[in-house]
Amino acid sequence: MRIVLLATDAYGGHGGIALYNRDLIEALASEHEVIVVPRIVPHPVEVIPAGVTFHRQAAHHELAYVQTVARAARQRADLVICGHVNLLPVACAISRHPLLMVFGIEAWKPMGSRLSRALLHRCRAVVSISGLTRDRFLAWSRYAGPTHLLPNAIHLDRYAIRPKRAELVERYGLAGKRVLLTVGRLAGAERYKGFDEVMEVLPDLPRDVVYLIAGGGSDATRLQRRSVELGVSERVLFTGGFAETDKTDLYNLADVYVMPSRGEGFGFVLLEAMACGLPVLASKHDGGREAVREGKLGLLVDPANPAEIRAAVRELLDRGEKRVPPGLEHFSFARFRERVIEMMAQVTA
Amino acid sequence: MLPPHGGGRTRTTHMCGIAAFFAYRSSAEPVRREELTAITEHMRARGPDGGGTWISDDGRVGLGSRRLAIIDLSDQGAQPMFDVGGELAIVFNGEIYNHQELRAALERGGARFHSQTDTEVLLHLYRRDGEDMLPLLRGMYAFAIWDSRARRLFVARDPYGIKPIYYADDGGTIRFASAVKALLAGGAISRDVDPAGVAGFFLTGSVPEPFSIRKSIRAVEAGTSLLVDDGHGRREARTHHSVASVFRQAERQRVFAGLTEPATFLRERVEESVVHHLVSDVPVGVFLSSGIDSSALTAMAARATRRPIHTFTLAFREFRGRAGDEAPDAERFARQLETLHTTRTVSREEFQADLPRIVDAMDQPTIDGVNTWFVSKAVREAGLKVALSGLGGDELFGSYPSFRNVPRLVRIAGVPIVARVARLVRKHPKAAFIGRLALTYSGAYLLQRGLFLPAELPTILGSEMAEEGLRRLDIIDVVDRAMTPDPMSEFGRVASLEASLYMRNQLLRDTDWASMAHSVEVRTPLVDAALLRQIAPLLVQDRSAGKETFAAELPPWLRNRPKTGFFVPMNEWLDLPDDGTTTRMRSWARRVFDSFGATRF
Repeated sequence: MRIVLLATDAYGGHGGIALYNRDLIEALASEHEVIVVPRIVPHPVEVIPAGVTFHRQAAHHELAYVQTVARAARQRADLVICGHVNLLPVACAISRHPLLMVFGIEAWKPMGSRLSRALLHRCRAVVSISGLTRDRFLAWSRYAGPTHLLPNAIHLDRYAIRPKRAELVERYGLAGKRVLLTVGRLAGAERYKGFDEVMEVLPDLPRDVVYLIAGGGSDATRLQRRSVELGVSERVLFTGGFAETDKTDLYNLADVYVMPSRGEGFGFVLLEAMACGLPVLASKHDGGREAVREGKLGLLVDPANPAEIRAAVRELLDRGEKRVPPGLEHFSFARFRERVIEMMAQVTA
Repeated sequence: MLPPHGGGRTRTTHMCGIAAFFAYRSSAEPVRREELTAITEHMRARGPDGGGTWISDDGRVGLGSRRLAIIDLSDQGAQPMFDVGGELAIVFNGEIYNHQELRAALERGGARFHSQTDTEVLLHLYRRDGEDMLPLLRGMYAFAIWDSRARRLFVARDPYGIKPIYYADDGGTIRFASAVKALLAGGAISRDVDPAGVAGFFLTGSVPEPFSIRKSIRAVEAGTSLLVDDGHGRREARTHHSVASVFRQAERQRVFAGLTEPATFLRERVEESVVHHLVSDVPVGVFLSSGIDSSALTAMAARATRRPIHTFTLAFREFRGRAGDEAPDAERFARQLETLHTTRTVSREEFQADLPRIVDAMDQPTIDGVNTWFVSKAVREAGLKVALSGLGGDELFGSYPSFRNVPRLVRIAGVPIVARVARLVRKHPKAAFIGRLALTYSGAYLLQRGLFLPAELPTILGSEMAEEGLRRLDIIDVVDRAMTPDPMSEFGRVASLEASLYMRNQLLRDTDWASMAHSVEVRTPLVDAALLRQIAPLLVQDRSAGKETFAAELPPWLRNRPKTGFFVPMNEWLDLPDDGTTTRMRSWARRVFDSFGATRF
């Protein structure tokens, strides 16, 4: 089967959607021919797997994009996958019934242009990263066709439990400390990762517990100010942006991963943390709930209840040992690929 | 996390009336078993299926309970309940909806359980977290834990005050019980009437906490806990929840409100609360008026449970064919949802026959509760013990006129000409007071909600009692405290006032006595601290979201029905004298007060 994927980004992208798309492409390419038309390619491109055509020139300018899409259309694809609702008019121009992907908060309220929304009924199916995103999308969109669930994949072989790297322990002053960690963009407009909520319970946790916030963004100054207000500025540490290659070491610096969030479509970082053996705390009220399989793999808290966050953090700190939960296998790339193949059979039947 | 219905079969009992004594001063007499038994027995209607009392070996502490069995009466739920070492003892009235989740966490921490009850969860949680346990509880509760290691009594009440608990402290012994009348039944406490409680009743239609109708008795306020220490007595109450502070906090969290479609997020959260409130797997009834809140709640409950649900609506001949008749629309909606529906017609004769029992069950004077009396009676007649109520929807979603009128009154009362004009309007008894009261939220709220106004009390109570009552009560202070800390938004202010005054002192208290009198447990999914914390950031931003969410659950013909809500034709039944109001609630208040006075004062 020949599949055209209209993606926002994939290779050469650093975000969560780029990562998800790369996994999707790899899984599709094991059985199909895949042609990828990206909207943006912000960074140097990694190795493209065999069987995949990646039209990086499409990201150069608008005209190039239109030309590339037109060329892809002439290749008579069996299936067009639309990687973002904003691209739906393009997808519908080259396919009667494209397949639409929805991920996170962008799908939680009316999104895209009026034209995009009007075209939703043309989709042969909608694929969602989580049940929560699916339900929130269905609530506003009045889309009534079939839906499929395709949660994130984790390449377990790329992560490991390791000792804390001495150089990083020294850089952040973590010697003799127990470390809570959240990884995420510090986006001022959203504030949904739960950084504030964790800082607010810090005064009630033992003195040797510090909070490491890993990620860069415009909200850092406000968060620093808040840590001063709460009297915990010495116990809140910011890494700023970090190199992708340091990621596993960064997770291994921590003793507990905490994310009492409100805006995660799925919460891939929770899978990464678990793959590094960290006990995790996730939210009852966003996609994190599904990343920890309704509480099977980690503890769930109501992000609006500081007492619940406090009790869960204490319990996880007491656990002490690191281990990769066996149930994490559920999200392995092998299982992801099986889901993709089965889904393709269903949507093209 | 355990599924919400899991383990329901093994739940056993629900404690419905509790008592706790602590002779904390060494000079105080030891606890008398006859007194403890008399108090506990007085609460038999609250818990007809069993009871127990316990007095410590040294005679300084006594605990008692009456229980209502929702599923079966096995001994594992017997109270007072002790922990394994016998160091902690508890009596508990209420329902902890997240007890399975808490239990799982405690078990991971090494706790070993001997029963399936939420009571035992409270014991373990207290052992782990002490006073800090309270914000972890989702439910309605009043309980007392005797901690023999620390020799102290810990008494706590749920965030909204759904379950009552009162106390009398004579300086040597402190006595707690679920009802004012039960405390009096022990015979050791003074029956002197508290003019502050009386004044509060006439001003607001119910006795405002922490006052009671008796001088010697106080309420443990909603959302607070008390510690009583050996030798020293009661420590200052500690607050674990206030509606005002949740709304204040919500101001900082406005940014979350935009993440999801407001209606979607609200529906998710309310449905979650409904599922929690259906926790034990027993047949559940729902009070169904034809109003939006109870109808939407019924729709959600019908979706959330696998069993058919029973719905109950009151009908009155006096309202037949008039707008106040809820029965036809409720029946139509019940058919649509395929519920097992009961329309219970109440006649003037039945009301008059029940009136002495109503007044007897009424723990303190109140102008409401008759509707809950009859709908609970209907639930009991159908053989059910649990019913959901949409109570709290108006407070949560801002659908009372006060949400519009109070801020408006404050704004216009500042204009001098308004006050002068208002004084000229003599038609409405409250008009003359606009200029004086409406300058603040507290005053404007009293004007909006008040039954009588302070200046009217001397004619009812005599000047001496009115004066003492008003001075001790300090009603403006009572109202102000409901709005402290300042919630910072118009919506948050009125919502705090409504939830902490009218809902707490009137609606919830009346629901408690009127349903307990029929041994029915009423659950209120919209009166839930966790739900409020979750949705407050959205409510202060988009005040119509709540109403719209609920309306979306209903068919159009029901959605646009004018608001009514469980009215009772008291006026027609009692031939109440004209008092200048359409409902004649002022006359009814005097009638209630007189009947209390005749038998009790």
